Amino acid sequence: MRDLRSKSRWFAVLIALAAIVMVSGSAIVWTSAEAQEGGGVPEGFKKEELPALPSAEMIEAGKRVYFTKCVWCHGVDGAGDGPAADRLWPRPRNFNQGTFKIRRTASGELPLFDAKKPIPGQNDLFETVTHGLPGSAMPSWEGILSEEQRLQVLSFVTTQLVKDRKFDDKATETLTVLQLDSIKPVPSSPESIKKGAELVVDKKCIECHGVEGRGDGNAFNLKDDWGFPIQPADWHKCWNFRGSRQDPYNVKNIFRTFSTGVSGTPMPSFADNTTVEERWHIANFVNSLCERDANGEPLPIDPLTDKPKINFVIRSGPTEGDISDDPGSEMWQKRERRIVLFGGQITHKPRNFVNRIDDVWVKSIYNDKDIVFLFQWDDRSKSVATEKLPFGPNQVNLEQYVKEQAPKTGEPDSIAAQQSKYTVYNDAFAFQFPVKWQELPAPIKPRYLWGDQKYPVDIVKWDASGAVKAFAGTGWDQDFEDRDDFTEKLKVLKQEWKDGRWTLMVSRPLKGDYDEDTKFEMGKYIPTVFFAWDGHNGDAGRKMAVSAFYYTVLEPPIPKETYIYPTLIAFGVVILEGWVLTRRANKKKGKAL
Amino acid sequence: MTSLKLVEGFMPMQMLFELALCVALFALTSHLLGKGGKAMPRFWQGILFWTFIVLYLKYRVYPPIPFSVRAMYGTVSLIAVFMWVSSNEEDWKKFKQPIMNVLDANTGFHKALRTMFLIALPIILWGFSYNSFLPNLDEPVELRTVHPAPPASTKVHGKTFVLQTSQNPYRVNPEGKYDQEYTNARIVEQSMGRLMKPDANPWDEKAEGYLKYVREGGEIFYQNCHFCHGDNLNGRGLHAFAFNPIPANFTDPGTIAQLQETFIFWRVSKGGIGLPNEGFPWASVMPPWEQHLTTDEIWKVVLFEYWHTGYYPRTWD
Repeated sequence: MRDLRSKSRWFAVLIALAAIVMVSGSAIVWTSAEAQEGGGVPEGFKKEELPALPSAEMIEAGKRVYFTKCVWCHGVDGAGDGPAADRLWPRPRNFNQGTFKIRRTASGELPLFDAKKPIPGQNDLFETVTHGLPGSAMPSWEGILSEEQRLQVLSFVTTQLVKDRKFDDKATETLTVLQLDSIKPVPSSPESIKKGAELVVDKKCIECHGVEGRGDGNAFNLKDDWGFPIQPADWHKCWNFRGSRQDPYNVKNIFRTFSTGVSGTPMPSFADNTTVEERWHIANFVNSLCERDANGEPLPIDPLTDKPKINFVIRSGPTEGDISDDPGSEMWQKRERRIVLFGGQITHKPRNFVNRIDDVWVKSIYNDKDIVFLFQWDDRSKSVATEKLPFGPNQVNLEQYVKEQAPKTGEPDSIAAQQSKYTVYNDAFAFQFPVKWQELPAPIKPRYLWGDQKYPVDIVKWDASGAVKAFAGTGWDQDFEDRDDFTEKLKVLKQEWKDGRWTLMVSRPLKGDYDEDTKFEMGKYIPTVFFAWDGHNGDAGRKMAVSAFYYTVLEPPIPKETYIYPTLIAFGVVILEGWVLTRRANKKKGKAL
Repeated sequence: MTSLKLVEGFMPMQMLFELALCVALFALTSHLLGKGGKAMPRFWQGILFWTFIVLYLKYRVYPPIPFSVRAMYGTVSLIAVFMWVSSNEEDWKKFKQPIMNVLDANTGFHKALRTMFLIALPIILWGFSYNSFLPNLDEPVELRTVHPAPPASTKVHGKTFVLQTSQNPYRVNPEGKYDQEYTNARIVEQSMGRLMKPDANPWDEKAEGYLKYVREGGEIFYQNCHFCHGDNLNGRGLHAFAFNPIPANFTDPGTIAQLQETFIFWRVSKGGIGLPNEGFPWASVMPPWEQHLTTDEIWKVVLFEYWHTGYYPRTWD
């Protein structure tokens, strides 16, 4: 991680230099002649010719690619109804209408595609296939399909599977292209970001994206062109932006999406009612919201997953005296935070194919008695069951209430269509440690999903009703057992849902009954698993999001030896230096004589 | 950064090729410089060469090589560089010369340099040793056996399968007989893209027998398995990023290509929880698929995985 940080520092320097050149070199605002020419062309766009259709050979070759790789999701006729479709949300694209999300072309137009030009910036569909659509099931095909094969398959899709429109029909189609590469960006600055923050209110962005941009405004009433529920993007997770092109912190991608809109979704193009300058301010503001590290640098992104890199160690820092219950206090602000990523629970029934919570930020502090965890995760809705639930927070076998999505249902009953129809349960969060981890024969751990008979786990579970309870877990299909004595010692220091984000602070004693409750020891790696339930996703029992194994470590205070030995070593080096110099000087003298 | 990514699967070859190319370039440049009368001193040549190798290993290769391995490579190349600069007495003298100059400090520049070294060295070493004495809270390294020894037989949905003698009931020729040769001739081509053979399309309406079973296996795969193992069976599915160990990459020649079909059948049926301890059953999220699929469905998925990756299952003989 350290390497990447220093790398990105270099980038920052370069960017800063570029910015200085730009600011001093010319006026910032883009006002070339192109902006005024041609009636009806929005600022920053330019009319272009429709490209020629691909050759018959390309189309035929593309068919072979399509039926090896794509048909499984997008279906035989490209209607987005392949075998995988009914368990996916968002559903695979239906190509028939020629509606494509990520474009440089004006609203309503077809995307850029030219089978002879695999050039970044001039070929929207090629870039989509190359980089994939993060946050959806569409992967990056770079390194899997050759450039030629990607162009072939797109030749097939655009001519054979797009049925309602023709890419070369001059009578009905036009190309008005955003000149993304020649428009000068307004460099990010506090002023620009401030203007952007005002503009997102002005332009009503926050009505859908939420006051804090966590995608929590109007999140349950939006539909796409095919009638499936769709949620506004969470601006704090730029790595999930569909149009991020595997370069999530690049503000150009946001500028593009804002200028051209996202076809087939409620996200419109803002080209007609914003100036280019305004769009850059908004893009700079949105980009500034994406999660960054303590120095304000972009998070290192793992190129294999396009998500932030994980460190599996959660470090709890020592303090003396009371631990503050205010996440804004200096004590908590100074603490390092670590990201924990979630996948759906897809091991046992009912499997959770769509987990709406995909990460949580964790901080921890301990004193001589307690350890406190601070969890913060984005959740578009505060979910609290309105009626008394027919099951307790300890029950896990709930197949009567929580159903697994069937593999083949057809569109009306598909998982995408279900998304706004779930019975609302409580949001909940839990974390587990092994009981008597001191005695586990390495490398054995209790199973990630609530332990087993032989190796039980210590589970602390909170839910949005405000209850926090200590349970014993003895297996994936066993209801949790109460640990009432320990429950009394747990404290919820803070629970708050605000603008699309939960903040939860839970305190637990460092030790309890050795045989039942996990005992924390300094400097030891204690296996930890996190679980999150989203009430609006109908999550309860085994339907939830789950993390991999992490480790909680209580940072020991720095021992005295850490200062003594290096000083001794440095002293030794000084003596050694003296010795070498004297020897050399003597030798020379000897030679001279 | 993406432009710097190494091509997956060709990495070792690419790395060796690049390194060889760089060494050749390096030799050529120093040769040309020498010819032009501006030969670079041996001392700097050695340092430059070694630094290059260390930086290459650190930044060019992804996923990153662990520090311990890099340290080993670094030491080996350091020894190589030393052998090179000390191959004869004259070279060795030339190599030592800059160091001796600084030690003797005959000029003002060398004096300043020597003073700087004398002060900086203890401080830097203090810093390094302080860092190494700090309590180490790095991620612990855990080594898991990826392909643990299978049992002799496995019982799935009440039926016992002996791993040595069982056969995939769907690996058949048009006569309905188990036939590896026939089916192996119809898998995807083992080249870039791994595309199906033009005359063996499982989605052809007329596809019967083996190819029809492949399509059915594919349907099951994309309704169940792609969430982790990915659309291209390369272990990069929708949920894969959250899990550790990461899902198996079937396109890697080290996974299903090395194994018998019955081994896969056992692994799929029993899942992570059915692994022996050396396979870390507690950490795997792989479902025991007997809880979700029928025996026939599992065999078809296995059939599909070999078809789509273009590998032959290993046989017992």
